[in-house]
Amino acid sequence: MLFKIAFRNILRNRRRSLMTGSAVAVGAMAMLVFGGYITYIFAAFETGLVQRIGHLTVFRSGYFVFGAGNPAGYGIDDYQDVMRVIAADPVLRPMIRVITPTQSLLGIAGNFSGGNNAAKTFLGTGVIPSNQQRMRQWDEYGVAPPEVPGPRLSDDAPQRGLIGGGMARILGLCQELKLENCPTPPPSRDATPAAPVDQNLTALAQSELGSGDVKNATMPQLDLLSATANGAPNVVTLEVAGVAVQGVKELDDNYVAMPLQLAQQLVYGRGEHKATGIVLQLVRSEDLRAARARLQTLIAQRHLDLEVRDFAELTPFYVQVVRLFSAIFLFITLIMGVIVLFAVVNTMTMNVMERTNEIGTIRAMGVRRNGIRLQFVTEGWMLGAIAATVGVILAFIVEAVINHAGLTWLPPGNASSVPFRLATPAEHPPLLIGTWLALVLLATVAALLPANRAARLPVVDALRHV
Amino acid sequence: MSEAAAPVVRLQHVVKTYHAGAVDVAAIRDISLDIPAHRFSMIVGPSGSGKTTLLNLIGCIDAATSGRIEVCGEDVGRLPDNALADFRARNIGFIFQAFSLVPVLSAYENIEYPLLLVGMPAAERRRRTLAMLDAVGLAAQARQRPNELSGGQKQRVAIARALVKQPTIVLADEPTANLDSTTGAAIIAMMHRMQAEQQTTFIFSTHDQQLISHSEETFAIRDGMLLAHDVPAAATTGAFA
Amino acid sequence: MRLAKPILLLLALIAPFPVLAQTPQEIVAAADKVRNPGQPFRATDTLTEYVAGRPRDQDQLVVYAKEDPGTHQFRNLVRYVEPPRDAGKMALFDKHDLWFYDPSSQASVRISPQQRLIGQASIGDVLTVNLVVDYNVTLLHDETITDADRQQRQCWHLDLKAATDTAIYNRVEYWVEKGSFHPVKAKFFSDSGRLLKILYYRGYREQLGSLRPGQAVIIDAVDSSLVTTIQFGDLRFQDIPETWFQRDFLPRLRAE
Repeated sequence: MLFKIAFRNILRNRRRSLMTGSAVAVGAMAMLVFGGYITYIFAAFETGLVQRIGHLTVFRSGYFVFGAGNPAGYGIDDYQDVMRVIAADPVLRPMIRVITPTQSLLGIAGNFSGGNNAAKTFLGTGVIPSNQQRMRQWDEYGVAPPEVPGPRLSDDAPQRGLIGGGMARILGLCQELKLENCPTPPPSRDATPAAPVDQNLTALAQSELGSGDVKNATMPQLDLLSATANGAPNVVTLEVAGVAVQGVKELDDNYVAMPLQLAQQLVYGRGEHKATGIVLQLVRSEDLRAARARLQTLIAQRHLDLEVRDFAELTPFYVQVVRLFSAIFLFITLIMGVIVLFAVVNTMTMNVMERTNEIGTIRAMGVRRNGIRLQFVTEGWMLGAIAATVGVILAFIVEAVINHAGLTWLPPGNASSVPFRLATPAEHPPLLIGTWLALVLLATVAALLPANRAARLPVVDALRHV
Repeated sequence: MSEAAAPVVRLQHVVKTYHAGAVDVAAIRDISLDIPAHRFSMIVGPSGSGKTTLLNLIGCIDAATSGRIEVCGEDVGRLPDNALADFRARNIGFIFQAFSLVPVLSAYENIEYPLLLVGMPAAERRRRTLAMLDAVGLAAQARQRPNELSGGQKQRVAIARALVKQPTIVLADEPTANLDSTTGAAIIAMMHRMQAEQQTTFIFSTHDQQLISHSEETFAIRDGMLLAHDVPAAATTGAFA
Repeated sequence: MRLAKPILLLLALIAPFPVLAQTPQEIVAAADKVRNPGQPFRATDTLTEYVAGRPRDQDQLVVYAKEDPGTHQFRNLVRYVEPPRDAGKMALFDKHDLWFYDPSSQASVRISPQQRLIGQASIGDVLTVNLVVDYNVTLLHDETITDADRQQRQCWHLDLKAATDTAIYNRVEYWVEKGSFHPVKAKFFSDSGRLLKILYYRGYREQLGSLRPGQAVIIDAVDSSLVTTIQFGDLRFQDIPETWFQRDFLPRLRAE
């Protein structure tokens, strides 16, 4: 009877119920759609990161805090042994999808060939190309965009590398790499007017070095200069296969990627070749905590001077993005919640007022105060439940429409546009259930105030009411 | 005639004062009376005399400022709110001037409602509700909502509702005020029938002369005081033909 | 940010030795003595940078050189004299650490190896490298080569490999003139095997008691448009206090 009366009263005040119900339904829909949006963003961002830098990286202790200034000083001793131990560990083995060493380095990239004289500091990484390729295929959430075709590193080409778009511009490689939107740098403004050329010196230099390099016809070459771990100047040749544009300008201006061996040759020279990082990409992100704990156990057991960092620590930007969007979501939730609260309180208050006489009647018939309270709370609860369900359905519809509309967007920090889609509520049950429950709860609580007032009405006063 | 039964309602020096803002209004000033069981009793008097207040006090939906009220032998002044509600649910039926049916419930459901409050099992509820509908001649209108019924039909539903739980007392406040005289007469006849069948005590508050003519005990009230208590000799009792 | 321009100047002057059958080590040692007189000394050097054959910058410096008695590394303190904007600036150099001091800010700044990869900061190593101490020497063969003045010279062609982890160059090819032990030419190679710099000594004349090079020509093999010449002048023996080679002492240094 309780539900019967509640439901019929909802239907009775059709317009009022519709208005309030709409507020709740729209609130549910907004939370689910936006929630789907940020779920997708988080998944896409995480996917991008995990593809590039894996889940966990093992470093020499102190590297994370101090290593940027001196990567050569933080090589991991016997890194291949460490990798073997990790890969063979029974707990870690099933979790690991790829394990690969990397070397960070910094130095100066110079384009000194054929009359060019451009130099730029660079921040580079040495990687194993085949492992890197495999890592790029990680896609636990199914949100990865299709791979962009383009120049790549290869295990078979130990001198071949990629540079950032800004780097290419600054080094004057626009034409050779056939890049679009790539202006050539202006000629260097040298203050001294044309002093006479010293022919003898020129002849001497040319006799030693030749008039210009015979270039490897296909790819432009750069000289990468760096100081080795022991402080000796070192230089290697990089064949530039092409450009890998980085989304962030600072990175794009400094980026060089090369095979691990080349990086090690440059950084360690005649010393022991090490690696600054051992990257682990897991099969599933859920294993991250367990894998990290296990790694730390292994490290402690063998008294190794190593530390472990995850991709969120290595990319503070990711954490910031997650926090920002979570805060926005919370903010929207609060606003929706307040609106729902007001709408329901308002509606239920009007209901109570209109049915004052009815309340008096059934109180006279013997309904207890609590019964009255329960009656109205139930109405609020039912309205919330129905409207929230409608909102959920609306969310499904909206997301289906958007996901099939073929939209794209440019995520911050990305180099190129990717397909835009929302994670549907089905993909994220906690969001769905949480939103529904929260709104129903809110509607119930909102009805409490007017229900209390109804319960406390003196019977005779209520009966006197028309 | 009626046997000498214990009074179903007994008031002793009952006073009821309202606080309307800064002013105190004495609605009932020291009334003592006994209402016998099983009879048509009527409380009569001009508007503002306190009839409705008296009825409310008897019906346990209001509390006296001072004095003692006994209903069905129970000192209702001492009962807490929930106990009072339960008491009403078991013992008292109400019929209002404005019918006061629950608008979203059908005639059947309105009549059934009080039975839910006393926790009656479904089969028994059904039996009684249908019987009541028949008794008031509304079997055909069982599914209809109050807004589809005429005034007379609504009042008949109200009567059925008041009586379906076979209460000890039925309190009716101006039950015929919104009805034309023909319908009113029919209603009165119906109530007589119920009284005869179930031995229910009817207590009316009214100034409808037609109704008053059926009174078996009349209590006249004026300005919150009891003026007179009559037992009309020519009262028409018993079942109607 | 302008890199420091340290000038390291190694002078070797030695009286001609009687030519005996020499081990490769002894050849290099003898050549080192031509570059370095073995006692603390000072010199006034003129350094000229050429870009694509045209002279661009010219600096005049006073260099104080002293060998470290323990490690036998050549240490140099350089004070800028010309041009006026650089006058008073100083650089302290010993094998690995380069400290640059600016009197206007009274700050000593360490220039890391990373910062000495290109430009003038990179040529100091070539002149101060201690070949005897840091390298294992092999004599390849006798060879006649053309020197910086387009003259033919009969030389020992030596191959030097780094003997320690901290030797700056992984390998050096060295041509020392037979008989006079004058270093004629050197090629310096990095750990990766790439040629970094080519050094010629020329203009030998009598200084500090021996024939010593009057000029060094350094050709940058990576940035092939860069050539630097250093004219060595006014060599004098001088007692140089140890404190001058301490970086904390730089602000208080009143040199002459």
